[in-house]
Amino acid sequence: MLLINMAEEIIKLENIWKTYLLGEVKLTVLKNVSLAIKRGSFTAIMGPSGSGKSTLLHLIGALDTPSKGNIYIDGQDVSRLSEDNLAQIRGKKIGFVFQQFNLLPNLTALENVMLPMTFQGVPEKQRMERAKELLISLGLEARINHKPNELSGGERQRIAIARSLANNPEVIVADEPTGNLDSATGKKIMEVFIDLHKKEKKTVIVVTHDPNIAGYTEETINIKDGEIVKNGITANKYLWSKNS
Amino acid sequence: MIGVVIGVFLIVSLMSLSEGVKGAILSQLKMMGKDLIMVFPGEISDLATTFAGGLELSEDDIAAVEKADGVLSTVPMNYKAESMRHEGRVKTLLVNGVSLEEGLDVLKNDFGWKLSSGNWPISAKKEIIVGSAVPVDIFPGMEVGDEVTINGKELEVVGILESVGSKQDDSSVTVDLELFKEITGQTKGAKMIIAKVKPGYNTDDVVENIKENLTDTRKRVRGADTPPFSVLSSEKVAGIVNSILGMIQAAIIGFASIAIIVGGIGIMNTMYMSVHERIKEIGIMKAVGAKNKTITTIFLIESGIFGLFGGAGGIILGLIFAKTIEIYFQFHPFLYLKASVGPGLILFSLVFSFLLGCVAGYLPSRSAAKMNPVEALRYE
Repeated sequence: MLLINMAEEIIKLENIWKTYLLGEVKLTVLKNVSLAIKRGSFTAIMGPSGSGKSTLLHLIGALDTPSKGNIYIDGQDVSRLSEDNLAQIRGKKIGFVFQQFNLLPNLTALENVMLPMTFQGVPEKQRMERAKELLISLGLEARINHKPNELSGGERQRIAIARSLANNPEVIVADEPTGNLDSATGKKIMEVFIDLHKKEKKTVIVVTHDPNIAGYTEETINIKDGEIVKNGITANKYLWSKNS
Repeated sequence: MIGVVIGVFLIVSLMSLSEGVKGAILSQLKMMGKDLIMVFPGEISDLATTFAGGLELSEDDIAAVEKADGVLSTVPMNYKAESMRHEGRVKTLLVNGVSLEEGLDVLKNDFGWKLSSGNWPISAKKEIIVGSAVPVDIFPGMEVGDEVTINGKELEVVGILESVGSKQDDSSVTVDLELFKEITGQTKGAKMIIAKVKPGYNTDDVVENIKENLTDTRKRVRGADTPPFSVLSSEKVAGIVNSILGMIQAAIIGFASIAIIVGGIGIMNTMYMSVHERIKEIGIMKAVGAKNKTITTIFLIESGIFGLFGGAGGIILGLIFAKTIEIYFQFHPFLYLKASVGPGLILFSLVFSFLLGCVAGYLPSRSAAKMNPVEALRYE
């Protein structure tokens, strides 16, 4: 039973609280949040700004630890792990994609994609081959040796996606991935995520405030004022599956 | 970084020059055999007084040294700056007076004097030998057989020496001690006595014998008020030179350390700024799996390289400075000064400045590594 459960739920949050201390004021960003994300699913976390959706994403991505409650990633409780152990889990199991792309400006596209593998101790030759492969698969073969500031927003985000895939993680976590792109480019980026979900069987979690973006996913978790909205987990209409 | 440059610059330039000075002095001392003993008036600890002149060894002192057990021969030496005229030109140079009868062998064998042309002077004649620099720098064109005049006394140049390794010695002329007395009017005493130890005697024992004899003589002649003197073996002189230069080098290292500490603080400051400027990058690296140790290492290496560049800059400036001084001394002779910069000094400076950078970068690197990834990512 447990095994099946583990296989089904790659990420599980149990009664999560997250509180920040701003001087004397206690700010509770997440209030008793519980949720589960199935392996191989495509999920949107939606909510207005300040609703706590980014904090939730950081917890799911093992970037942060909760004030109370437990988080399981692939069956392992990560809520009390040390910073280095969290870094290890992020490096192996999670791929991040950010609204601001967050590429290192002094590194080329290739070097940016190689970076997560460097931290995992992958030999240089292997790193380079894998990074090239990923960049080519995302249509960036002409941009391999370019630096981020020589590239368009869409290209930068594709490099960031390639980087998130470097260590072949099971989960891709994207924070407003189309927020800095025009709608046409945003659509193309979302199609990349659909591909990752459908062809590579990745678990993809996208945080957004845009219902159109959420519409690309299988299901949406709605969050407001740090709480999951009751009956807010809605199944979407598989827009993309009809289109493709 | 400028502090590191200055610090390493000081170390490299001054260490190489003081090594050079040491080398120049020691190489001269090495020419002397171990069986030589030097007797100076005055305390050797008070070098300024000794070399400022005034103090002299008397005829009684010379006799006392001569009589000491274990002394094979003594060579009284004297020197005085005099004006010398050659073909209408007058220059002031140092005239040495050496008792040639006893001293010529010591000069040849122990001081390494060699003739490049001409002959050694004969003590009874009014003959003079000149250092190798005299016919080149002081009286260009001077040849063996020329006539020179000192204080109205006409002398014949009979020999020109090969260089003995010190510009000062090469620029001096040498006459027999008797002739010296005649020319300069200094008829008594000497500024220094060189005593040669008899074979089979221990040099240190003979030093003690000479001291005893001198003390006795001086007490007898001048009563309780015996002026001090110094009796040193050539080894001892080398030791003294070494220790004086050692002190100078220690002082240099002290000054350089201050500059280096300032430089280190500069690097620390730069690294704090660099960490601050790259908070977002640190967040990104952590998000894609960098451990704290990795972040620390990245910044440590960076600050080490900072230090290394500072050190390299200092080495280059130091070398340029030391070489400039060396060239200066070639044109303005005082010593044949060679700036000795060994690979050891360069390697030491590079390793040292790299480590300095690492030490200075340690705290900033720690602060970078401890950053919370979420806050770092949010930072704009």
